[in-house]
This record gives sequence, C-alpha cells and structure tokens, in this order.
Amino acid sequence: MSANGYGVDTQPRGEDEVVVNLLDVDDVTVRFGGIVALDGLSFSIEEGHICGLIGPNGAGKTTMFNVVSRIYQPTLGSVRFRGQELLRTPAHGIARLGIARTFQNLALFPTMSLLDNVMVGAHSQGKVGFPRAIFRVGAAKENRETRDFAGDLLQQLGLGPLAFRPAMGLPFGTLKRLEIARALAAKPTFLLMDEPASGLTHGEVDELGDTIQQIRDQFGLTVLLVEHHMSMVMSISDRVVAMEFGRKIADGTPAEVQQNEAVITAYLGTS
Amino acid sequence: MKSLATIREGGAANWAFRIAATVVVFALVLYVPTKTGAGTIQTAIEALVLMGAAMSLNLLLGYTGQISIGHSAFLGMGAYTTGILVSRYGWSPWYTFPVAFVLSFALGVIVSFPASRIKGVYLALVTLALALVFPQVVTWKKLSWLTGGGSGLPTKDAQVADTGFNIGAASRGQMQYFEIFGWNPLGDLRKPDNKAAFWYWIAVGVVVIIYLVCRGLVKSRVGRSMVAIRDNETAAAVMGVNLVATKAFVFGISAGLCALPGCVTAIKTGGVSPEGIQSLTVRGAITFLIVMVVGGAGSLWGPIIGAAVYVYVTDITGGWASDEAIPGVLRPFFGWAKIPPSDGIFAVLLIVLMFVAPRGLVGVWRQYSPRIVRVLPRPAGTTGAAPVAIAATITNTHSEGEHE
Ligand SMILES: Nc1ncnc2c1ncn2[C@@H]1O[C@H](COP(=O)(O)OP(=O)(O)OP(=O)(O)O)[C@@H](O)[C@H]1O
Ligand SMILES: [Mg+2]
Repeated sequence: MSANGYGVDTQPRGEDEVVVNLLDVDDVTVRFGGIVALDGLSFSIEEGHICGLIGPNGAGKTTMFNVVSRIYQPTLGSVRFRGQELLRTPAHGIARLGIARTFQNLALFPTMSLLDNVMVGAHSQGKVGFPRAIFRVGAAKENRETRDFAGDLLQQLGLGPLAFRPAMGLPFGTLKRLEIARALAAKPTFLLMDEPASGLTHGEVDELGDTIQQIRDQFGLTVLLVEHHMSMVMSISDRVVAMEFGRKIADGTPAEVQQNEAVITAYLGTS
Repeated sequence: MKSLATIREGGAANWAFRIAATVVVFALVLYVPTKTGAGTIQTAIEALVLMGAAMSLNLLLGYTGQISIGHSAFLGMGAYTTGILVSRYGWSPWYTFPVAFVLSFALGVIVSFPASRIKGVYLALVTLALALVFPQVVTWKKLSWLTGGGSGLPTKDAQVADTGFNIGAASRGQMQYFEIFGWNPLGDLRKPDNKAAFWYWIAVGVVVIIYLVCRGLVKSRVGRSMVAIRDNETAAAVMGVNLVATKAFVFGISAGLCALPGCVTAIKTGGVSPEGIQSLTVRGAITFLIVMVVGGAGSLWGPIIGAAVYVYVTDITGGWASDEAIPGVLRPFFGWAKIPPSDGIFAVLLIVLMFVAPRGLVGVWRQYSPRIVRVLPRPAGTTGAAPVAIAATITNTHSEGEHE
C-alpha cells in the first residue's frame, strides 16, 4: 500500500490530480478460533463511488462490515477512513465519523415504531445527554426536529404510512428499506449496505438499484455494497471488489471483474 | 381493528382526556390525607414507597433491559443514609435525601461496570448477591458503630424539633396553615401527633420527582437509546450509543432514585433495620420486580398502577389470616396457608399476565383502549404532502403489512 507520508493513501488519476481514498483496508486478518474469516484483505474505496463487494457465501463480506463497524477486532491490519485509523475508534464513535450501515439479517429495534427506529438512527446527530434530558434543556426542541427529520426520511423511502407501526412483524423487504432509512438518519458520508436486495422481488431489485444511485447523489454518499444480485451490482457499481475465503481475488471495473478468471472459477465452483 | 372513535394527538378531545386524568390523579392524592385516617395514610405511604422503587427499577429493567434483583440494596442505602445521618449526626432529614441519592448513585455506577459485561441470568445473579449481602453488611457486628448492627438505628427520637421535621410539635405557632373555606388541603398536619400526613406529602414529593426524572429521560434522545440497548445492543452501538456509559448512567440514576423512597421509609418507620423494613431485604427487590411487571414494564405509569394495585390487594387481604375474615366465595382458596394471601394472589396474577399481557396492566390498556378510542399520533415530517418518493414501488410491497 502506498503511504504518502501523511498517512493518507492516494491513487494517481489523470495528470496531476490526486484522489484521496475514503476508505483504505490494509492487510486485515480476522480469525474465529480456527476459521480465518479475513486473510490479509486489502482494498480501497474512492470518495463518491459505489463499490460492489462480491463473493460466494462465507467469503467474509459481512465480517469486513463488522470490522469497519468495530464489532470485530482484527488480529492484524489497519482500516483507515479519510486517512484516520478506525481501529482506534470505539464502536459508538463510528457513526459520528459519518459511517452508517445496514445489516444482512436485520438489526432493528423490534418494539420501537418505524419512526423511533429512524430517530435512533439519528442518535449521533443529537446533543441531549442525561443531564439535559432530566432537566429538559432543549430536549423538546431536539425531539421535534429529529422527529420531523425522521418522518421526512420515512416518507422519502415510501414508508411514511407505516411510521407509527412497531417494526416487529412487518415484511422483510419493508424492514430492509427501514434499515436504509435508519442508516441515512445518521447523515453519513459513507454507507455500507449488506445485501439490501435480499427478500425483494425482481422488479423491486431494479428499483432498489435506482434508489441506491439516487441516494448516493442526493446525500453525497460513498457506498460499499454487498450483494448477490450480480446484474444489480454490475450495473450500478463504479468498481467491484471480489473476494473468496477472506482474500481479495479481483478488483476493478465491473466489466473487468466479470471477465476475471478467478471470479468465474469462484462462482462456478470449479477449481 | 375497528374503533368507536378516533381522535387526534394534541387535539381538543385528547387534551380534555389528559386534563380529566390529571384531575382524577390530583383528587386521589388530595383525598387520602384530608378525608381518611392515619391508617390509610400509612398504607398510602407504603404504596408511594413501592411506586418510587418500582419506577426506578423500571428505568433500568423496563427501558434499558438490564435486570436487577438487587434494588432492595439501593433502597437500603437510602434508609441507612437517613438513619445514620439523623440519629448519629443529628442532621435534618431533609438534607439526607441528596446525600442518599449521591451515595446510591455511586454504588449503582460501581455495580454497572461488571454488569455491562454480563447479561441475562448472570446479571440477575450478581444483583441478587448484592441484595443478599446488603442486610449482612449492615447487621455486621464490626459495623455496628455506624449501622447499629442487628438492632438497627432509631430515627424517630432523633427527629428533633429544630430540624423542622417534627411537624406537629414544632410547627405550632410557626406554620401558616393553608386553608380554603376551612378545608386544609395538606391534611391533618395540625395535630401534634399526626405526622402521617406530613410524611405522606414527602412521599408524594419523592414520587413526583422520580416520575419527572423518568419522564424527562424516557421522552428524549437518551430514552430512545435506552430502549435501543434493550432491543438490540449491537445495533444501538452502531447508531452511536455508548453502551458502557449509558448503562453506567442508567444504573446510577436508577440506584440513586431508588434510595429516595428508602429515606422516606426510614423517616416513616422511625427506625432502620432489615427486620423493621422488609423492602431492604431480597424480598423487597422481588416485590419491586413483581410490582413493575404487573403494572407494565417499560411504561411510565406501569409501576405506579402496579404499586397501587399491589398495596390495595395486600391491604384488603391483610386480615385474611383466619377463615372467618375471608369473604364467602373466596374462603376455600385462602386461610389454610401461613403465607400472606396477597402473595398467592399476585403469584397467580403474575402467571396469568405473563400469558395474556406480557406488558402488564398498562399493556392491556394499550391493547384494548384503541377499540374504543384511537389516538392518531401527530404526523411526523416537515411536509404535509408526500415528497417525491424515491421508491414508488415499495408502497405496494408493504400494503401486505397493513391490516387496518
Ligand atoms: N461471529 C463469528 N464466529 C465464528 N465464525 C464466524 C463469525 N462470523 C463469521 N464467521 C465465519 O467467518 C466466515 C465469513 O463469514 P461472513 O458472514 O463474513 O461471510 P459472508 O461473505 O458475509 O457470507 P454470506 O454471503 O453468506 O453473507 C464464515 O466461515 C463464517 O462462518
Ligand atoms: Mg454476509
């Protein structure tokens, strides 16, 4: 990996234009007992891109997300966000840096309404702590603002009519969409989405592709997208990283990755 | 689900209901000290103490999902703080409240650190140990210079006149009575020997303070993060909730608040010892749990209703030790066992509620009241009209989730 002396990895582009990477994953290794879930994984994401992360089941994609979320501690390696070492930030500090995510198997707050779920998503934006809540200093105002903000987000994702329903018991596809709304509530600059299309019908998957591109443009996001729906990943990604057994096997434009021998082998299962 | 009427949150009908409910609560609170005797007032104080304890436990268990079978120790911290400061150092009982809060808060925070690493059954066991150890520690011979050992501490005689606490005796000639057409809304404070009404108002004050703190917390960003921890810790952390700090603070606040009803008990009982005050043994901790669950965990009014019902039932069935005292139909079911009948009634109520309404009596209300009147929440969002929906199709997907 190319360190330029400022701890910021850069990629040359064009003549003398230098693009700072948003995320640099450098030689990350994660072990669970005997299983090596990530094995010296390295890749970078450029600001403003939609980066697809593909790989067969068990390749380590979700593990990668959990490393960025600081849920799993890697045994080796470093993860830098805008040049800053993420592995020194506690899990609750990640959202404040502008990193939000969705979960593959849903990690919502089931007893809370959809609105409250999204309001918790805005937690890192809020200021009212224990003393201010007890003595009600600015708590009502913050509630009103957060509530309106969350309500608007729900509207925008087509969940407005369900705002006051508890999350428990709603269809999987709806809840997947709620996860996106909740992640956007953190006003992130970097959004990690773990299989957002699972549980959707074919038509809905295409819609979702458009949605992702739209929110990227509207909120100025960089997106890391894990998805098994190849047509969607390949059509909306600016770059694709393919992995297998915790290692990167290919990296490039969608067209390049689709043609890559290793990727074809991994997906066809021949070896 | 059909409902007979639909009203708007914050609309006139909603306000009318709120005002009516407030008036009823005020009337009840005023009725007890002015229109009933000392016995009822004493029972009401017990209910208020239980309310306070169950409300503070609710903050920790009902909202944040961290179980504690050790809250009797925090109540005990309050009782002993008042007992020690009043009887040994001659403090006015007033000043012991904040001290008890701070000490118990500190103990709660200390307990929270191991507690934030352990969950479920293990947390229950650790807090249970706290409840079991507390009476042992305070009756320990080597600590009797402070706690009075097994015989406990007197607080009654020590309530010397100049603390302003010996209301009957001290206030003659000093206190202005607040009367409206000959009716004294504070109750019978005038009688030199009737301190019950005075203690009652202190207990009411404590419950109001606890309620306001709980309400402020619950209806804020902090309250949402507490419920988020209860529902899904990992997701809460990803949203930016500091798990360790939040749990420590909730533990501290919950413990600190729980000490306040302890102070009231010390004042009311006139002595502090594990024998004299059952609430500071593990039995108390279990009672707080039952009261909270029966009333409705995770709701502001649950512990209040639970405590009122619990004390009411205990009071009615208190005399059922002999068969003759038991009303006819109920006679076969009670009287034959040595345990108080209210224990049996609450045990059965608890089992039934767990099946039909795991959210307690308040849960029953929440489930069935919309059949009569449904309250439409205020719309959330800055725009009345739906903005350009990014995803139009999803509106069709979730229609299957709507069975209005
Ligand atoms: N908490 C854990 N404990 C033990 N093993 C784990 C844990 N999390 C992941 N693994 C293992 O690590 C490997 C990578 O899992 P991971 O969930 O990251 O795969 P994935 O690429 O997301 O797969 P999928 O497409 O099925 O979601 C798997 O072998 C999995 O069993
Ligand atoms: Mg996965």
